[in-house]
Amino acid sequence: MVRADEENDLSDNPYRLPIVHGEPRPEGNVPESGRGGEENNVPVMLTRRDEAISFFESKLSATLGWARKNSIFQYPFVTACCGMEYMSAMSGRYDIARFGAEFPRFSPRQADLLMIVGTINIKQSPVLKRVYEQMCEPKWVMAFGVCASSGGFYDNYATVQGADRIIPVDVYVPGCPPRPEQVLDGLKILQDKIQSQRHKLSTMERSVDSGEQKKKSFLGKLLSR
Amino acid sequence: MSQALVELLREKHPDAVLSSHSHRGDEVVVVKREALLALCQFLKNDPETDMKLLSEIAGVDLLTYQTESTGGGALSSTEVPAYQAQRQEAVEPRFYVAYNLYSVTKKHRLRLHVQLRSDDLKLPSVSSVWRTADWWERYNFDMFGFIFEGHPKLTRLLLYPEFQGHPLRKDYPVRKRQPLVAEQDFPDLIRGPGPGPGGAGVPMSQTHVGRKNVDPNTYD
Repeated sequence: MVRADEENDLSDNPYRLPIVHGEPRPEGNVPESGRGGEENNVPVMLTRRDEAISFFESKLSATLGWARKNSIFQYPFVTACCGMEYMSAMSGRYDIARFGAEFPRFSPRQADLLMIVGTINIKQSPVLKRVYEQMCEPKWVMAFGVCASSGGFYDNYATVQGADRIIPVDVYVPGCPPRPEQVLDGLKILQDKIQSQRHKLSTMERSVDSGEQKKKSFLGKLLSR
Repeated sequence: MSQALVELLREKHPDAVLSSHSHRGDEVVVVKREALLALCQFLKNDPETDMKLLSEIAGVDLLTYQTESTGGGALSSTEVPAYQAQRQEAVEPRFYVAYNLYSVTKKHRLRLHVQLRSDDLKLPSVSSVWRTADWWERYNFDMFGFIFEGHPKLTRLLLYPEFQGHPLRKDYPVRKRQPLVAEQDFPDLIRGPGPGPGGAGVPMSQTHVGRKNVDPNTYD
């Protein structure tokens, strides 16, 4: 399967860790262990019809990825001083709107990206978990700053040692607080990830998260008639 | 000026004052627990003292820390490793509560200490004297477990009600965590795989590289 945005690959940046592009991953921030389950790799003999479907699937998935990565609505879960850098990244000088992520939606139900901006303490963790669960699929999570990524220097009785202990995280942006350039870089990494994912709406397979068997998507319904 | 304050206190309440000393320019008066409330009322309402501002109530846990008053050196470290603390002799009275007072009009300061033995952590509440003492006493109850008798609502101020123990005590395990949400598996090279401290009974001390078989209930 060919990635649609290979010409936009940012691999010339020597400081960036490579994103592994193998088989396209399911969309959203399903945890690593649950990703790309073996149940999807059933060996079958492809017919011309299946080939055509998979061609359409890949093209539609790439289109959906392109659309989704350029219209990220974020939910800023701002708890600490990283919020100042978040405001900076949002406002005119750094202007996160250049990458299509200009809308902070202060309702989790309207957001695609949960930005965990600042320290998460244990008292707050049920709130964070609930906000995450209220978000609609597909959703992605960014840990903004070291406190959200690993607890930072708050190695104590009150602090969650990284938001990934509570919810799965897609992108970690280090820094205390991170520079707005780092935030934009993290956003671009997330955009790469979204582009390379296999979007559920475009495939015929069952939903990864809902657990319902044989549930066909939009395209599946269209083509199976 | 503050020295005159101590003299005044000794004169007006001779039974309440146990001792007094000066710590880096601040006058400290060690007072009797039973006389605390009357003393605070005097300090606030007397026109000569006029301590209208209670800036802080702080708790101190000495555990094995030897101070000048308990016979040790003043410069010894407050960091007590677990193996040392188990060997060293416990200090009694182990706790004290420090009330930092300030007079806005007279511009003088005074610190009151109330010593508490570890088997009896009760002391009178001064929330009837200063309104701000309400939250300060809840904070001290939260972090140290002192029982302020007469407090209107002595519950935890900062931590959640499910929390067990008092984290600022020196014998609270440093890496003990009490999560409210079940922690999930995550792949992590530094902190190691699996749930973190408290998640499934695996303390952080055991997920660290090169640190195995550390009892989570001792401090490390």
